[in-house]
Amino acid sequence: MASRTNGDDGKLDRSLAEQFLDVLGPVDRWHDHEHIGDFGSPARVDMEQLLEPVAKAGPVSRLGPLEKVHAFWFAGMSCDGCSVAVTGAEKPSLEDLLMGAHPGLPRIVLHHPVLDLEGGPNFLRAHERAIKGELDAPYVIILEGSITDENKAMETGGFWASNGEEPWGKDGVERAVTANEWVARLAPGAAASIAIGTCATWGGIPSAQGNPTGAMSLMDFLGKDYRSTFGVPVVNVPGCPPIGDNFNETVAAILYFLQGFGPLPEFDELGRPAWLFGETVHRHCVRGAYYEEGAYAEEFGDPECLVEIGCWGPVVNCNITSRGAINHVGGCMNVGGACIGCTMPGFPDKFTPFHKTPPGSRVSTTASRLLGSVIKPLRMYSNEHLNREVRWDIHGDVPSGWASEKSEPGALRGAGHKLYDKLRRTTDTGRQDNETWGKRTEWTQARDPELEPQLPRGGELPEEREVSSQEPG
Amino acid sequence: MCFKTLPVEFDDSGNARLRGGIPDPYSVTTARPEVNMTEAERTAQIEQLVKRNGHIKDLNMDPVTRIAGAMALHVTADLQDGRYLQAHSQAPLFRGYEVILMGRDPRDATYISSRACGVCGGVHAHCSAYATEMALGLEPPPMGTVARNLAETAEMGYDNPLHLYLLAGPDYSEPVVKATNPELWPKAQSWRCPGEKHHGFKTMAEIMTALTPLTGELYREGLQFTRLSREMFVLLQGKYPHPQAIVPGGVTSTITLQTLNEYHARLGSIFDYAQRMMAVWDDIPEFFYEADERFKEVGARPVNMIDTGYWDHYEAYDATYENCNEWGERRWSTPGAIIDGELVTTRLTDLNIGFEEFVEHSYYDEWDGGRYGTDPLDNPLSPYHPWNKRTLPKPEPKSWKDKYTWAATPRWDRQVVEAGAYARLFITAKAQKLPESDFIEATGHSLKLRIPKGRTPETEVEWHVPDVWNAFERNRGRAYHYVFSQLVGLANLLDAYKLMERGEKKVARLTASELDTHVQRAEGRGVGFWGAGRGWLTHHTVIEQGKIVNYQICTPSTINASPRDPWDQPGPYEEAVMNTPILEKMSDPSQFTSVDMLRTIRSFDPCMPCTTHASTGRGTVVREVNTCSCGADG
Repeated sequence: MASRTNGDDGKLDRSLAEQFLDVLGPVDRWHDHEHIGDFGSPARVDMEQLLEPVAKAGPVSRLGPLEKVHAFWFAGMSCDGCSVAVTGAEKPSLEDLLMGAHPGLPRIVLHHPVLDLEGGPNFLRAHERAIKGELDAPYVIILEGSITDENKAMETGGFWASNGEEPWGKDGVERAVTANEWVARLAPGAAASIAIGTCATWGGIPSAQGNPTGAMSLMDFLGKDYRSTFGVPVVNVPGCPPIGDNFNETVAAILYFLQGFGPLPEFDELGRPAWLFGETVHRHCVRGAYYEEGAYAEEFGDPECLVEIGCWGPVVNCNITSRGAINHVGGCMNVGGACIGCTMPGFPDKFTPFHKTPPGSRVSTTASRLLGSVIKPLRMYSNEHLNREVRWDIHGDVPSGWASEKSEPGALRGAGHKLYDKLRRTTDTGRQDNETWGKRTEWTQARDPELEPQLPRGGELPEEREVSSQEPG
Repeated sequence: MCFKTLPVEFDDSGNARLRGGIPDPYSVTTARPEVNMTEAERTAQIEQLVKRNGHIKDLNMDPVTRIAGAMALHVTADLQDGRYLQAHSQAPLFRGYEVILMGRDPRDATYISSRACGVCGGVHAHCSAYATEMALGLEPPPMGTVARNLAETAEMGYDNPLHLYLLAGPDYSEPVVKATNPELWPKAQSWRCPGEKHHGFKTMAEIMTALTPLTGELYREGLQFTRLSREMFVLLQGKYPHPQAIVPGGVTSTITLQTLNEYHARLGSIFDYAQRMMAVWDDIPEFFYEADERFKEVGARPVNMIDTGYWDHYEAYDATYENCNEWGERRWSTPGAIIDGELVTTRLTDLNIGFEEFVEHSYYDEWDGGRYGTDPLDNPLSPYHPWNKRTLPKPEPKSWKDKYTWAATPRWDRQVVEAGAYARLFITAKAQKLPESDFIEATGHSLKLRIPKGRTPETEVEWHVPDVWNAFERNRGRAYHYVFSQLVGLANLLDAYKLMERGEKKVARLTASELDTHVQRAEGRGVGFWGAGRGWLTHHTVIEQGKIVNYQICTPSTINASPRDPWDQPGPYEEAVMNTPILEKMSDPSQFTSVDMLRTIRSFDPCMPCTTHASTGRGTVVREVNTCSCGADG
């Protein structure tokens, strides 16, 4: 039976990962690859060998010290949605990362169970080399899905989430290797440990209230003191799913830095890429302006701000409204989906029940309704003016077959627009009366009542139309 | 009379009832299906062979890659006779979504259960909304139903090429064929493709080269088209996977003319691509069958299938269990069960009451008895039915004789049935109940698909119910399902334009504040009959005093990856592997790649994330006990 005692040194600050390894002990047996042969490897070569002829960079495109980087992808309690999101990314695309298809980008040798050609122990060969310290290039580890409390599962002799088998049981017997164990063994030697998606970054839905598995995040597991071999704590790219491009761009930015030509990417106090998660999703929301006008969706499907039908956007760090979900298309609020905070450490339990108005929004929506009641009519007033050609103002005539007369709706409003135009042009240097020496005046058309008869159709205007209420003086 | 094993009969008006005179009708000993070989017999046979051959080799393949999620397969292979003698399918991961949902507000179910799977990342949210709205009595407005269909046909547009080109395709690619069946390569180089006009490849060798991971044209193009379809999905649902605009009683999408036009513009380019895809997956089986007839046995199993149907007709769907047989039969893909190639029912109530789940070989504790003797229509219900089931996880050591997987064992009428996108083609073709459409016609033995012109001229293609059922036909069926789903998408897009023209823009039954009031006193049972990229999907929910008190998810890959049932019947993966001949060429056992088994498993498009009862896995344990006598180890 497993227990949660600390290591030999008796220190209390050992991370859960270190404590887990204390229980499991070191490993020194490996698959007998001579014995296994090609089993599970139908091309008899692995993905790295298959791609090397096309993916390996020459001296011109390399731009830095790294020719390649291994990336080990593990799945804890995951739905594979992060993997799927990454296959959707295009800036840069997964294919380009694996093929080293951008100048300066080292090729990434990705060991990913969903994508690799080889399976079984042949797939795990590189993992074993990494544990032994025999890999031919630096490696990073990527975790998708939550870490579980495997100690709890071991109490009844089982496991929650295994990622392959190794001969690490008693007397070299094959036993399931959990995602936790791979991470615990490989994180100390990794150039970077990256958590992708909200399960790996903050525990996510598997860690929601009432869960039976003790799910937690990668940071919870590796602890506050964890540093990669390059001195970096856990990097977190959250989202459920994350935007694929957020992840691929972060990976590329780190690699450009390591290659020596990109700036050091900035991460926030929780290890998120600061340039992607520094703003709330509301600040770039396409419906944000409805908020300031105090216009809110009442029914699902309405075009206005979604706060009152359950949107948490004003207090959530995310960039989906500006970046879109895939190829700049979609984005939750852009299409009518209220934000439920899926990028946040408090997700999901601090956002439920879904589809309900966040209580805190009452204060701000009341305030913006007041402000909006002033701003909105003023904007409509200006908008109406701007929806007319200057020519239409002069003629008092809108030659559109689509609508009824759209001429100036009254003396008072006209006077207002005139005043507004005057204010607008107070410092307009074009109004100064010095001579415009280079200009040929006989071909110049001015929007000026005195000159109006010179314009096409101008002279034929009916008398009564020429005298309109808003004619500028 | 659709039930052969369960003691259920029907009265004159079609209502189900238990046959009289059976003291314990759902006892696992009472209704005993026929099993060809018991586990004891199979084990004895293997032991005999092992003794005769004298040499055992243990290999563990873990993970099986290029499937979604984690799965383990324990096989015993006889390389001399070219047979897999034993197979156990294992799902090595649990996450507990059902457990998390119990005790929560029903409004949480949609987005929490969505996270059961990120591969078919929109289907659970939809299915959950269907289950919840049935329990809450919320009929979506027409545009709500149509908008769901548009999202879900787009999802199929992503799902099918992802499987065919990223997961399954590499097993038919140049590097794999050259390595495992080198004798086929010269033949492939000279074999002229009948489908050249549609896909542009002169020879089979050109197709195989194009299927090569990352460098192959078809691989890269397939990946690109998954992105296009995902764009269509996120136009309506915000993101993919895990949609953000579904609610019980409708959707929350703001649907404007631009939404529909953008969807339309993308759908147009899919039809050109669909023709190419079908032609590729028509030519591959023809080539392999011609090269060696035995390829027809790879992944073979009886034609036993079930499907819940998919994509409701907005005029028919009313979110009630009472009318589910009527609206079910008006779906764009007809629900039904096929046993030994015969369509035995198209009624959703039959599918529901015949459905049971067992945990004999799974890491769960048994539950005692059931809460419900009948469904809401008084049809009899088994204590093993999802409305009666409880999820009681218990991690235990793996034992092939006892418990060895996180997947449960779903059975229909206690028979081993298979789920898949292709089941939609079978059932829809045979049932001939499709809504009227210019694009799709069911003939009773085939589906005629009329593809509108894009840059390529318009074409009519026909999917025929195949004579054989195997790995190649599953893949071919998936390619045809791709165009089938996109034509359903087109029909629904035209409906959406029509509704918009009529001003029927409402997308959800209740507002957020009405829903808030409504759930407080909610009471009832619901079931979402929906579909995934792999077919059948159900969510069963029980809501009491506004709270979820039971939640059960059954996914297609749970059905397909299921372990032995209480009667020793192997699950579909297990059975298909045991029917698969070993056709790869090897000069010594160390060259054994097991590619034929891999083609079999991948043809089901395993999607394990949600298989283990909304628990998921990744990585695959394949334990291979190799009874080998081909000399190299001697």
